[in-house]
Amino acid sequence: MKNARRLTAVNDAAAKAGLHPFQTVADALALEPDLITEDADPDADLAALEALGDWCVRFSPAVAVQAPDGLMLDIEGGEGLWGGEQAMLDDLVTRFRGAGIPACAAIADTVGAAWALARFGKGRRVVPSGAQRAWLEPLPIESLRLSENDAETLVTLGVSSVGGLLKLPRAELARRFGPGVRLRLDQALGDAEEALTYRRAPPPFFERLAFFEPISAPDDLLRVATDITAAMSRRLAGALSGARRFELGFHRVDGRVESVGVGTAIAGRDAKRIAKLFAPKLETVDPGFGVEAVTLAASQVERIADAQGRLADGVHENACSFESGGEDGVEALVDRLANRLGEAEVWRPAARETWIPERAVERAAPLAASDKAWPADRPRPVRLFHRPEPIEAIAETPDNPPVSFRWRGRTHRVRKAEGPERLAQEWWRAQDYGPDKVRDYYRVEDAEGRRFWIFRAGLYASDATPRWWLHGLFA
Amino acid sequence: MSAPRTQDYVELQVTTNFSFLRGASHPHELTHEAAALGLKGLGVTDRNTLAGVVRVWSAAKSHENFAMRVGCRLDFIDSHPSVLCYPTEREAYGQLTRLLTRGKTRERRGRKTSVCEIVGSDLYEHAEGQVLIVVPPAALDDAFERALAALAHDFPDHVYLAGSRRYAARDHRRLYRLAELARTARTPLVATNDVLYHTPERRPLQDVMSCVREKTTIQQAGLILEANAERHLKSPKEMARLFRDHPDALARTVEIFDRCSFRLDDLRYEYPHEPVPPGKTAMQHLRDLCTAGAAKRYPQGVPQAAIDLLEQEYALIEELGYPHFFLTVHDAVVFARSQNILCQGRGSAANSMVCFCLHITAIDPLAEKLLFARFLSKERDEPPDIDVDFEHERREVVMQQMYERYGRDRAAICATVIRYRPRSAIRDVGKALGLSTDVTARLADTVWGSWGDSLPDEHIRQTGLDPDNPEILRATLLATELLGFPRHLSQHVGGFVLTERRLDETVPIGNAAMKDRTFIEWDKDDIEDLKMLKVDILALGMLTCLKRGIDMLNADADCPLRVDDIADFPYEDKAVYDMLSEADSVGVFQVESRAQMSMLPRLKPKEFYDLVIEVAIVRPGPIQGDMVHPYLRRRDGIDPVIFDKPSPEFGPENELKDVLGRTLGVPLFQEQAMKLAIIAAGFSPDEANGLRRAMATFKHDGDVSVYRDKFVGGMTRRGYQPDFAERCFKQIEGFGSYGFPESHAASFAKLVYASSWIKKWRPDIFCAAILNSQPMGFYQPAQLVRDAREHAVEVREVDVLLSDYDCTLEAAGKVSPITRYGAFKAVRLGFRQVRGIDSENAALLMAARDAGACTPEALARTGVMRRTLELIAQADGFRSLGLSRREALWAVKGLDFTAPAKAAKSNEAPLLALMGDPAEAKVELPGMRLPAEVAEDYRTHGLSLKAHPCRFFRQSLAARGAVPASTLKDKTIRDGRVLSVAGLVLIRQRPGTAKGVVFITLEDETGPANVVVWPDRFEANRKTVMTAGFLLVRGKIQRDAGGGVIHLVAESFEDLTPALGLLREQRTVRPAQPEPVPDLVRSRDFH
Repeated sequence: MKNARRLTAVNDAAAKAGLHPFQTVADALALEPDLITEDADPDADLAALEALGDWCVRFSPAVAVQAPDGLMLDIEGGEGLWGGEQAMLDDLVTRFRGAGIPACAAIADTVGAAWALARFGKGRRVVPSGAQRAWLEPLPIESLRLSENDAETLVTLGVSSVGGLLKLPRAELARRFGPGVRLRLDQALGDAEEALTYRRAPPPFFERLAFFEPISAPDDLLRVATDITAAMSRRLAGALSGARRFELGFHRVDGRVESVGVGTAIAGRDAKRIAKLFAPKLETVDPGFGVEAVTLAASQVERIADAQGRLADGVHENACSFESGGEDGVEALVDRLANRLGEAEVWRPAARETWIPERAVERAAPLAASDKAWPADRPRPVRLFHRPEPIEAIAETPDNPPVSFRWRGRTHRVRKAEGPERLAQEWWRAQDYGPDKVRDYYRVEDAEGRRFWIFRAGLYASDATPRWWLHGLFA
Repeated sequence: MSAPRTQDYVELQVTTNFSFLRGASHPHELTHEAAALGLKGLGVTDRNTLAGVVRVWSAAKSHENFAMRVGCRLDFIDSHPSVLCYPTEREAYGQLTRLLTRGKTRERRGRKTSVCEIVGSDLYEHAEGQVLIVVPPAALDDAFERALAALAHDFPDHVYLAGSRRYAARDHRRLYRLAELARTARTPLVATNDVLYHTPERRPLQDVMSCVREKTTIQQAGLILEANAERHLKSPKEMARLFRDHPDALARTVEIFDRCSFRLDDLRYEYPHEPVPPGKTAMQHLRDLCTAGAAKRYPQGVPQAAIDLLEQEYALIEELGYPHFFLTVHDAVVFARSQNILCQGRGSAANSMVCFCLHITAIDPLAEKLLFARFLSKERDEPPDIDVDFEHERREVVMQQMYERYGRDRAAICATVIRYRPRSAIRDVGKALGLSTDVTARLADTVWGSWGDSLPDEHIRQTGLDPDNPEILRATLLATELLGFPRHLSQHVGGFVLTERRLDETVPIGNAAMKDRTFIEWDKDDIEDLKMLKVDILALGMLTCLKRGIDMLNADADCPLRVDDIADFPYEDKAVYDMLSEADSVGVFQVESRAQMSMLPRLKPKEFYDLVIEVAIVRPGPIQGDMVHPYLRRRDGIDPVIFDKPSPEFGPENELKDVLGRTLGVPLFQEQAMKLAIIAAGFSPDEANGLRRAMATFKHDGDVSVYRDKFVGGMTRRGYQPDFAERCFKQIEGFGSYGFPESHAASFAKLVYASSWIKKWRPDIFCAAILNSQPMGFYQPAQLVRDAREHAVEVREVDVLLSDYDCTLEAAGKVSPITRYGAFKAVRLGFRQVRGIDSENAALLMAARDAGACTPEALARTGVMRRTLELIAQADGFRSLGLSRREALWAVKGLDFTAPAKAAKSNEAPLLALMGDPAEAKVELPGMRLPAEVAEDYRTHGLSLKAHPCRFFRQSLAARGAVPASTLKDKTIRDGRVLSVAGLVLIRQRPGTAKGVVFITLEDETGPANVVVWPDRFEANRKTVMTAGFLLVRGKIQRDAGGGVIHLVAESFEDLTPALGLLREQRTVRPAQPEPVPDLVRSRDFH
C-alpha cells in the first residue's frame, strides 16, 4: 500500500480514539467513521512555524527554526528583562497557550540539552548552568537526536538511557557507531560546539507619525495621510517592493483607533496614487476629540520589477499619474473604481468553458489575463438575452429550422437558416435531467437581413407542441 | 422535402468501453442495440486496440442477418490524421495486428507499457489490403488535405473520408466541405455517427469517464465534454434523414462492409507442430505415448476397462481435432519432470484416462469413479480445459521454456481484463463529480467485498452521509453503472496461447510489466470463443512444499518409501483419514482453514472421494445454496437420501439419480449444477454454458434475472419444488467466479491426501518443507512450528554456524518418536526465518563457512555482509559461540568488514576470537529478561522457541477471569457456559457468505481458540475487534452438534494490546510521545 493516504498528525480527540500518525486513512476511518481529515500541507506548516519564530523575536533576536516542530532561541543575556529564566519560560509558554498552541519548552546551556528536556523532560525545565549531565542521564537515548537506526541498535543492546550510553567506553562506542553518536552526546553535554542557523525576520512595513497637538480637521487628516504614505513609499522603494494592501490607523486621544484600508489590483508603492485612494474614505473617519498619532501598515508585500519600481520612485513620481494613460492608466482607473465602488463591482467578462450559452461568461479580475476563449466554430450572438423570450414558430419536423416566427408581435419570415446546434443541459446541476432539457439552436436571417438566435426546447416529440424561444441577436 | 428513403446502414465508427475511459457501453450492449435498431452490421473501431472485437463478434453471433467487421481506429503520435482501419482479408488483418504489436512494443523511454504508439509511416508499411477511412480533424487545414491526398495516392480505391452529424452549429457546412474534399482527393465520403455509447442515456457516464481520463472534475471539465447526447447508435432511417443530402455516403457503409471479407472465424486455430516427431501423425503419436504411459501406470497389466476408455477418448479427441492439445500439455509436463519440477493437471479434460496415462494427472478415472468421466463434450464444442499447477518457485522456468520452445512470436500469455470493482468505481466517480476525497473515501470504505446492483442505503448512512443527498445518489448510481467496465489489461496468471503461424498476425501482443513476459490483448474467454489453444501454466505453493517434502523423504535413509510423484503416496491410509477427522490439519492443503477445520470432524472423511467432497463443500456455491446441512444430515443418516423429481408427465422420476447419486441427492459440484440446468430446467447445453459464464464474469454479460426466471421457472414448471429450484440457482450464483467443478476438487484432493500423509507420518519433514515454501497457506511460521512441536518434533533455533538458508533436518535427540516411515529428525530453523536475510546473503555466509570460517572475524573477512551478521545476532543466533543476543550484536558491531581478506581460514580459536581486539575495553551490557528475549524473537523472526508471549501474562489474565484456551477442549464444559479467553489475534475473517459475522482465531500458550462475533457485537466493538493484537474475549461456549467443534460466541472484549509493550525492556523515562503499538504478531485479516 505504497500509495495509501496516511495520517500525518492527529488531534487529542483522534489520539484518544486510537488514531496515530502514519496510520492509513482507510484504517483510521474504519476505526472512527466520524473522522474529519484535512490534506497535509507541509509548506503551510513550515510557514506557520516560521511565523511563530518571527513572533518569538520579542524574546530574543536569535531564533532558529527547526522543522517540523521546533524553535530554538538563544536567550543569552536576555533573561534579565523577564525577571529570570523561569519567568521568561513561563511567559513564553503562557503566551503560546493563550494562542492555542500547546508548547513544551526548556532552557539549558546547550542546544542538545534544551532539545532533550523540552521533548522528554516533564514540565517547563530550566536546567541550572553546568548541570545538564545529571539532568540528561535518566532521559531515553532518543532524546539525543540520534539517527533512528543508531537509537534502535542501542536499545537492542540494552542501552536505553543517556546514562547507560555514558557508561560505555568512548573508543569502543565510536568504533561501532562512527562519530555521530559521540558528537550528539558531546553537543548535549557542552563538550562540542553546535552552530544554529538563525532566522532573520523580514522588516515590517509599518510607519508611524505622532503629533504634538492632536489634529481633527479633515484637511489635516488628508495631509498626514499623504505624508505617511510618502514615507511608506520610500521604505518600499528601499526594499524594491510594493504592496497590495494598505491600512491607515488614526489613533485618537481617547484610545480608540479609526482605520481605513485600500487595496490595489497589482502591487505598487506610488505615494500619490495610494493617497488618492485614501482620500474619499477619510470622510468616514471620526476624529473624536482629536487624533494624536497615525500609523500605516502595508501588507501583501511583493518584490516588484525594476521598471515599475522606477516609475514609482521619488524622482519620477510626477511622471506616474492617473492621467498618464497606457497600461498604468488602466490600472490606476481600476484601482480608483474598485476603491470607490467596491472590489466586487469592477470586473472583466471572460470566457467560461461550458456549452450552455448563458453560463459561458464569468466575471474575472479586472486585470487578469484569460487563457480561455469561446470556441470559434460556434457562432454566438453579440447580444444574448438574460432570459430567452418565447416566440411562435412554424417549422417542419423533426429538426428543420422554422419557416417563420413571431416575436414581440411581429412576424419574421426566415430567409436563411443554419442549424440545429444541439445543446444538452449540464446534467450534474439539474436533478430532473431529461430530454426536454435539450435545446436545438438555429441562426436565422429574416427577409430584412436581421439575424436572430432562436431555439426549440426539447427533442421533437409528436405528442407535444414544440416550444420556441429567441435567445439573442446577431449583428 | 421528400421523405427519406430507408436503406441499409452499417455503423463503421464505434468505440466500445475497451477504449478505456472513452466508450461508455459494453461490446454486447452495442451489438444488441445495433441489431435491434435494424442495422445491417457493426464495425468496431476501438482506439489502437482490438481488445473488444471478440466480445462484439460473440454477441453478434446470436443475431440473424447481422454481422460485425473487425476494425481499429488508429491514432498516431505524430501529426498524421486518425484512420479507421478495416482489413479486407486475413493477410491484411495480420498486417493490422503486427502494426499494433509494433506500437505496443516500441521502445521509448518513459513510455507506459499499456500504450500503443504508432506513427504515420507505420501505417504506410502495413496498409496493404486495408480499407482506410480517414477521420477528419476539427480544423480542415492544408496539412490535413495534403495527408489525405498522399494516402489516397499511395493506396488508390482504399481510402475513404468519414463524415458525421454531431449536431454542432455548422454541421451542414462542414459536410459539404468534406464532400468537396472527398471529390478532389478521390476519397469517397462515408457516413458514420462516431458512436460512444449504445443509448443516449449513457451520456452522463461518458462525461464522467472523460473526467477520469483527463483527471478533472465535471465542474471543471468544460468543453472536454460532449455538447449533447447524440453519439449513440441510430437507426438506418434516422441516419438516412441526417444524411439526406449525401445518400452516397450512406450507401458506402454497406459497400465497405461487403468489401471486408475477413471474419474472426478465419483465425481457425493452427496447432503448434513441435511435439509431434516427423513421420507420425499427431494422433498416432498420442496413442503411442498413452500406450507407453498406461504400461507404467498399470505395472500389473493394463485392465481392459482402461483400454476401452482410452479407445473411447481417442475417438472423441480425433473427431474434435484436439490431439495436438494433449500433446502440447504433455510436452510441458515432460519438460517439468525433466527439470524435476513437481506438477499436476486439473480441469475437466484432466479427468480423462488419456491424461492419467500421459502422467498429466494423478487421478485414475477407473479407481476414483468420478461422476463426470466425459471430459470433452461434442455439444459444448469448446476446447478442452486443462490447467497445470507447478511448484510456485519454479513455475517461471516452465514459462520461459514455453517461450523458448515455441518462440516469442508464437507464444504469449492471455490478458486479464481488470474491471471496475465497487471501490475503484466509487473512487473514480466520486473524484470526477468533485466530491471531497473524504466523502469519496467514506463511500469506498463502506464496501466490504461485493455489492450487487446498488449500494445499500444503510451502508451509506453508517458513514454519516445522507443517501438521499442528490450528489451522493448520483455518485452511487453512476458508480453502479460503471461497475464491470474494463479499466486496463493485465497479464493472466499463466494462460499461454500457442499458435503455429506468427501469433502477432493473429492478435496484437504487448510487453508485460514483468520482465521477459509478453501478453496478448484477448482474455481467456475470448480465446475460448475463438477456439484457440490455451494451456494454463499455474503456480501452486503446496507443490513446492510437497516437492521439498518428497526430496527429504527420499533422502532419509530410515524411510523405506520412495516417492517420485504425488500418486506414489501409500494409498487410502486409515491413519491419515483419522488425523483429518480430528481436524488435525494445520498446514495441510486446502482443508486447513477454520471453516474446513470445523467441517472435517462433521464429515469424517474415510476415503478419497470424501476428500473431494470436503474440498468442494466449504465454498460459496454449496453454502449459498444451503446444500451443506442437507448433505451432512443425509450422510449422518438423519435424513433419508431422496432424489428430487419432476412431475411424472415431464420425465422419469429418477432423472437426477445419475447426476446426484454420489453426493446423496444434494448437488455440490459445479458440473452437477450445470447438469441440473440441462436435465431439470430444460436448458440447452449452450444455454447452460452461457449461464455458467454469466455467473463467472462480474455483471457484464447478459442478465442474471433472465437466467433466474428460466432456471427456477423451468424447474418448477416441470414439477420440482420451488424451494429446491431456488436453492440450486443460489448455488450457481454462489459458484460465481469461484466455480469449483468436481475435476478440480479431485486433483486438489490428491494434494490434500499427499500433504496429510507427510504431516501424519513425518511431521518433522512436513514442518521443514512448509517453512521452506513460505509464504503460502493459512498459517504463519509461529503456528506451523507450534503445531510441529505439538506433534513431538524438536525444533531448534537459528544459528550462525548451524543453520542453512532453508530449514534443515538434523539428527534428533534421544527421545524421538519412531514410525514405520523412519524416526523423526530435529528441524533446524533456517536463516530464511529471519526478517531481512535473503538467500543471496545467506549463501555468502554458508560459502564462507564451508571455506572454514567459523568466527565472526573470519566471516567478516570473507565478504559476508555486516547486516547479515547483525540480523543473525539480533535473532539470537550466536548461542553456539557462547554469545548472548546483546554480546553478539556488540561483537559484530565492532568487527572490521573493510579489512582486506587475509586468510580464508582463521587459526584463532572461536571463543578467543570473539573477545575481538584484546585491547578493547570490556563492556558489560545489561542482561535481558526472558519476556524481552521472547519479544525480540518475535520481532526478528516472528516466532520464539523460548516461550509463548501469553505465558508472562497468565497471572494477570487469571485475575481478569481468563482461562487458558486449552480449557475449551474440555468435554465437560457445558454448552452455553460463560468464559473468558485471551490471546494473540492470529486471524480475523469476515467472509462474504457469513452475513456480517466475524471469525477471530486467538492463540495463547496452550493453543488456539475460535471466537465468533455476531454483527451487533461487532458494530458495538468495531475498533477493538478490528485492531487489537492481544485480545480478551468474554462469551458463551457453543458446542457443535457433533461435539467436536467449540466456539466462543463473543459478548464483550478487552483490548490488551498495550500490555504487549511490557514485554520489552522498561525505559527509565517514558517518552512524551506515545509508543507505537508493539508489532509482535501481525494477524492475517481477510475481508
